[in-house]
Amino acid sequence: MKANRLSRRNFLRSSGVMLALPLLDSTLPGALAADKAAAPRRRMVAVTQTLGMHAPLFFPEQPGRDYTLSPYLEPLKEFRDDITVFSGVSHPQAGGGHQAAVSFLTGAQHAGTDWFRNSISLDQVIAERMEAETRFPSLSVGFSNLSWTRFGVQIPAEASAARLYARLFLAGSPEELRTQVRRLRDGQSIMDNVRDGAKRLQTDLGKEDREKLDDYFESVREVEQRLHRAEEWAKKPKPTVTVPQPQDIASGNDILGKTQQLIDVIHLALQTDSTRVVTLSMGGMASVLAVPGVTQGWHDLSHHGNEPRKIAELRILETAIMKTVGYLLGKLKGTREEGETLLDRTLVLFGSNMGNASSHETSNLPVLLVGGGFKHGAHLAFDRKNNTPLCNVYLSMLHRLGLEVKSFGSSTGTIRGLDMK
Amino acid sequence: MSQRSLPSSVRPTPRLAGLACLIAGLAISFGSPGQAAGPNDKVYDSVVRPFLVKHCLDCHGEDAAKARLRLDKLPPEFSAKEPSGSWGKVLDKLRAGEMPPEKRPRPAPAEVRQVQDWIRAGQVAADEAQQQAQGRVVLRRLNRVEYENTIHDLLGIDTRLQGLLPEDESVGGFDNNARALRLSAVHLERYLETADLALDDAICNDRDPPETLRKKYRFRFKGNGQAAWTLSKDDYEVFFMAGSIAYSLRDFAAPRDGRYRVRIHAFAYQSEQPVTMRVGAGDIYALNGTSATAGDVTRHLVGYFDVPPDKANVVEFVDWFHPNDTIRIDPYNTLRNYADLSQYRNGKIDMAEYTGPGLAVGEIEIEGPLVERWPPESHRRLLGSLPMVAVPGAKTKRKYRMDPPRPLFVVSSPEPAENAERILRKFLPRAFRRPVTDAEVKPFVALVQSRLKEGYTFEEALRVGLKAVLCSSEFLYLKEKPGRLDGFALASRLSYFLWTSMPDGELLDLAAKGTLVEPAVLRKQVERMLRDPKAHRFTENFLGQWLGLRDIGATMPDPTLYPEYDELLKVSSVQETESFFEELLKTDLSLLNLVDSDFSMLNERLAWHYGIPGVKGQEFRKVKLPRESGRGGLLTQASVHKVTANGTTTSPVLRGAWVLKNIIGQPAPPPPADVPAIEPDIRGAVTIREQLAKHRQNASCASCHAKIDPPGFALECFDPIGGRRDSYRATVGELVFVDVAKGWRIGFHKGRPVDASGELANGKRFRDITEFKRILLEDKDQIARNLTEKLLVYATGSVIRPADRAAVEAIVTRARAGNYGLRSVVHEVVQSPIFLNK
Repeated sequence: MKANRLSRRNFLRSSGVMLALPLLDSTLPGALAADKAAAPRRRMVAVTQTLGMHAPLFFPEQPGRDYTLSPYLEPLKEFRDDITVFSGVSHPQAGGGHQAAVSFLTGAQHAGTDWFRNSISLDQVIAERMEAETRFPSLSVGFSNLSWTRFGVQIPAEASAARLYARLFLAGSPEELRTQVRRLRDGQSIMDNVRDGAKRLQTDLGKEDREKLDDYFESVREVEQRLHRAEEWAKKPKPTVTVPQPQDIASGNDILGKTQQLIDVIHLALQTDSTRVVTLSMGGMASVLAVPGVTQGWHDLSHHGNEPRKIAELRILETAIMKTVGYLLGKLKGTREEGETLLDRTLVLFGSNMGNASSHETSNLPVLLVGGGFKHGAHLAFDRKNNTPLCNVYLSMLHRLGLEVKSFGSSTGTIRGLDMK
Repeated sequence: MSQRSLPSSVRPTPRLAGLACLIAGLAISFGSPGQAAGPNDKVYDSVVRPFLVKHCLDCHGEDAAKARLRLDKLPPEFSAKEPSGSWGKVLDKLRAGEMPPEKRPRPAPAEVRQVQDWIRAGQVAADEAQQQAQGRVVLRRLNRVEYENTIHDLLGIDTRLQGLLPEDESVGGFDNNARALRLSAVHLERYLETADLALDDAICNDRDPPETLRKKYRFRFKGNGQAAWTLSKDDYEVFFMAGSIAYSLRDFAAPRDGRYRVRIHAFAYQSEQPVTMRVGAGDIYALNGTSATAGDVTRHLVGYFDVPPDKANVVEFVDWFHPNDTIRIDPYNTLRNYADLSQYRNGKIDMAEYTGPGLAVGEIEIEGPLVERWPPESHRRLLGSLPMVAVPGAKTKRKYRMDPPRPLFVVSSPEPAENAERILRKFLPRAFRRPVTDAEVKPFVALVQSRLKEGYTFEEALRVGLKAVLCSSEFLYLKEKPGRLDGFALASRLSYFLWTSMPDGELLDLAAKGTLVEPAVLRKQVERMLRDPKAHRFTENFLGQWLGLRDIGATMPDPTLYPEYDELLKVSSVQETESFFEELLKTDLSLLNLVDSDFSMLNERLAWHYGIPGVKGQEFRKVKLPRESGRGGLLTQASVHKVTANGTTTSPVLRGAWVLKNIIGQPAPPPPADVPAIEPDIRGAVTIREQLAKHRQNASCASCHAKIDPPGFALECFDPIGGRRDSYRATVGELVFVDVAKGWRIGFHKGRPVDASGELANGKRFRDITEFKRILLEDKDQIARNLTEKLLVYATGSVIRPADRAAVEAIVTRARAGNYGLRSVVHEVVQSPIFLNK
C-alpha cells in the first residue's frame, strides 16, 4: 500500500570527482628561487566570515602600539608584533547586510540591487600576475564565495580538504597522467571547434546579441591559454609532501574543524609554492557550530538584540574563530624559508563584511592584517563616523606584493600608518 | 494606450495652485545639440519647456545645478538603453510628488500629467524602436538549473551537476535574466568538466548490469532497549522517542549508487490514530550526527509518512542512494522528551510498562540498484546497439572508493567515422533544439576524425565530439532572432518557462511543422505541459524566487523563543505554498486568492501550527479555513513569514517592502546610504513598532516609510515562524504555556503586546490583517498586473520595459474579464506579443 508522504527536498550533492584541472608540477622552492634574482616569494591569504565579530570584544580600546589586547585578540597574543588591527574602515556604499559579503574582496558598490555588477577581487588581481609562476594561480577554498573574476563571475570554492590535497599533491598513475594530458589537449581542440561554431552563430544574430557573445569568445580564449599552461605543468611532477591526505570530517556543522583541515592543506600549498594566493571563507551561517558551549545557530546568535545570554554564546563561538585564525598564523610562523618565516612572506588578511551583524551594518568592519613584510604591532584606528576605505588596505597589500597599481576598488590611496619593512 | 493607474498611495497630492509663478522672464537658452527632431518636439516646445522654465530651472538650470541635473541642457531625446536616464528620473520624481519640492509653488496637476505623458511617450517610442531592431531580451545563457535539467533530459541521466557550476546572478528577482547571465572562463572550464561527468554516466562501460541486491533487514534492539527507548517484540521493534542514534539501519549499506526501492513494514503501536514516521537517508555517520545543517551533502530527508495502526501496513518509496548510504527511521509525534516519562523513577524505564503511542517497525526490504534495462536507456539513446568489446587489461574508472574496478568494455565500431557522423547527426538537432545544417555537423565530425587519426578508440574519439557539442554556444545559449520567434525558438522559450528544460519531441515536431505558432496549437501545448509532472519545476523555481522560498532554510529560529519550530514545519510550510499555487493553477481559480482565500492546502503539522482542528495525517489536502483562524492567502502562510524574518525577530520594514515589491508590485526605493540600521532589542523593552515611530517623525524618512511600514505592521501578528501572536515572545517576563498539539506543550516568556493596526499613506486605516487584505483587494487590477509582470519577467528573461506596458494592460483587461483565473493568465502570458517576440 502506497503510503502518504510529503515531497522531499533534493539537496544538492556533488559527485565527488576530482576537478579536471591539470596536474601541476612544482619544483622545490629552493630550485625555483635559484632561477631568479633573490626576490622573496610573497604570498597572500585572505580569510573571512560573513557574520562579523562582536565589536566591543574585537577592537582594542586604545589606538597605537600600546593598546591593551581586546578579548578576541588575547588568543593571538603571541603574534601581537605581527598584527595590525584596523578600526574605522569599510567599503563605501557596500549595500546592505548579507549581500555585501560578495564585495568584501572587491569593494564593488550597491550589492543586492538589481543593477549590481561585481568587480574583480583582490586575490584575482594578484592571481592574474601569478599565472606563469605557480601551478595554481590562486586557490579558492572554503564554504562561500569570495573570489570574483574580472567579469564579475564567482569562482566556486573548494570545501573538501581531501579533494584540495588531491589536486595539489596526488600524482595519478602514468595511465591517469596520460589521460589528463589527453584531456587537456582535447580541451584545446574543443575550444577551437566551439569558437568556430560561435562565429557561425554570430552571423545569425542581431547586434546586441553579437556583443553579448563577446563574453563567450573572451572565455574561450582564456580557457585555451589556461589549458595550454596546464599541459606544460602536467609534464612536471607534483611536489612530494610527507603529510598524508586528510579524510574530510563527516559532521556537517564542524565548520571550524573543517576549516582547520583546509588550513593544513593551504599551508602545504604555500610551503611547496603550489600557489601564492589563497582565499578561505568560513561558512555555516545557518548552523549550530560544533563548538562546546554553543547551542544556537550562528546567524541567530549574531542577531543578539543585546540579549546577554546570546552574546555570551556568541563570544564562545567567535573566540573559537580567532583561535582558528591563530592556528593558521602558527603554522605559517613555524615554517622557515630562506632565513625568514612563511608568515613574514605571507600577507594574512582576516575580516568580515559585517560591522554590526545585529543591525546588519557594513561600516566599521573588523579587520586584521598579519605578516607579509609590513611594520606591524599597532592598532590603526580610523574615524568610526567617517570610515576610511578598506580598499586602501588592499592597495597597500598589492604594492607590497609588487603590483604597482594606482588604485583598487574604491581605494583613495594606500592606508596611512602602515609601512613596509 | 491605456494609462496605468497609480494606486492612491503614490499619486502626487494636488496642492493649491495660485501661488506666485516663477518669473518666466529669465533668458534661458536651451542648447540644442542639433539632433534630429522627434515627433514629440512640438509638445516639448509648447508644454514641456515652459513647464521646466516655470518650475524647475531655478534649481536645475544655468544658475544652479542641484543633483548635478541641468534640465535646460537636457535634449528631448530618449535612449532605449537607458530608460532610467535623466528623463526617467524626472518622471519618477514628478509621479512621487517629490518634485517640485514641498516648499515651492505647486504646478497644476493637469500640467504635471502632460509632462509625464510626454516623457512616457518618448520612452515608449524609443523602446519600441529598440525592441523591433534588437528584441527585448538579449542573448540568454542557460542558468545552472536549466543546464542540469537539460543535460538530464538530453542524455537520460540524473547526475547532479549544478553544484559544480558558479552561482548565477539575479536581476528583476530571477536568475534566468538574460542580461545577468554572463559567461566566463570559469564557466567554460566547468562545462568541460560537467560534460565529462555526464558522459561518464550516460555511456556504460560495464558489460553486465550491476548486481541488484534484494534483502530483508530488521532492527534488533534486544538488550539495548532501554537506551534507545524501544521495546523489542518478536516480529518488530517499537520506537518511542525520536533522536536515538540506534535508529539507523546498521546492517544495510548501499553497495553502489543508484535507485533503491525500500519497503518498510511499519504500524502505529498502542495508538488508534496514525503515527508519523520520519525517514532519512545518507552516510551512517552523518545520520547519527547532530542537527541538520544547510547544504549538508551526506544525508537527506526522504519524507514523513503517516503510519496507521494496521499491522499489515507497508510504507514504500524509491530513493537515490550513494554507496554506503543507509536509512534512518524516527517516530515523530510520539514521545517528545524525558519529562514525559517523569512518572518512572531514576530513569529506569521498562518500556513494556509504557502505555503511550509508539512506532512499530518490522521487516524492511531493500532492493537495488534498480536497473530497468541494460545497457541503460541513456547509453542506447546515444549509441544505439553498437557492440561493446572488452579492452584487454583495462578496468572501469572508480567513482567511489568502495567501487571495485571491473573489466572495461567500450563501444566499438567497424566504421568509426561513419558511425560517429550518424550519431552526431542524430544528437545535434536535439542538443541545439533545432534542425542543423551540414555545415554545422561537419566540424564535429572532423574533430572526431582528428582523434581517430591520433589513435583514439571509437568511444574516446566520439566523446570528444559530444563534449564539444555540450560546450558550444548553440547549446548553452537560446538562439532568438529579433521579431517574431520562429517555432523552434518558441518551443525552447516555452519549455524553459514551464519545464525549466529543453523542449520534448512533440514540441519540436510541431515547430518543424510550423504549427506551434498557431494560437490554438500553442494553447493545447500549454495545457499538456501544465499537466506534465515536469511543470512542478515551474512552481518551484518561480515561487522559490518570487516569494523567496528558496531561503526557507537560511536562518534557524532561536529555540528558546520558538521551541516548536522543527523540520516538518519547515518543509510543510513550503509545500503549503507550492500546493496552494498549483491548486489555483490546476482549476483556474482566481489569482486574487493569493491575497485572500477561504482555503489552503494543509497537513496535520500545519493545522497544529495554525490552530485548525480536524486535519489528520501529514498528507496534504485542501482545507476550508475557518473564519476565526485568521488565515487565507499568501500573507498568512508560514513560509512567507519565515523568509521575511531573520529567524528571531520580525521587521515591519522588511515585510512591508516585501509586500510592496511582490504583491502590490510597487517596490520601495532603497534606503539612503547614510542611514544607520535599527538594532532590534529582543529583551522586550521596546517593540520594533516603537522604534520605527522615530522614522515617521522625520519628514524625509516618512515619505517612504509611510508606504513601507503599514503592510509590515499588518503582518506583525505573525511571528518569524508563521504562528499568530497577540504578544511578542521575549526572554524574560511572564512564563506562558501553549499546547502545540496533544501531548506537546511548550513554554515561552510573554513580552509586549502586538499592535498590528496601521494607516496607509493614502489615509486608509486597518485594524488587522483581515482589514488590510480587504484594502489590497480594492485594486484587483494591480494585483493581477503585478503577477502578470512577474510571470512575464520569469517567462522571457527580461524585466518589463516601457514599450511592454500596452501588452501588459491587455493581459490584465482579459484577466479581469475571466475573473482573474490563474491558469488563464498563464495562457494569456504565452499568447502575448511579449512572449511571442524576441
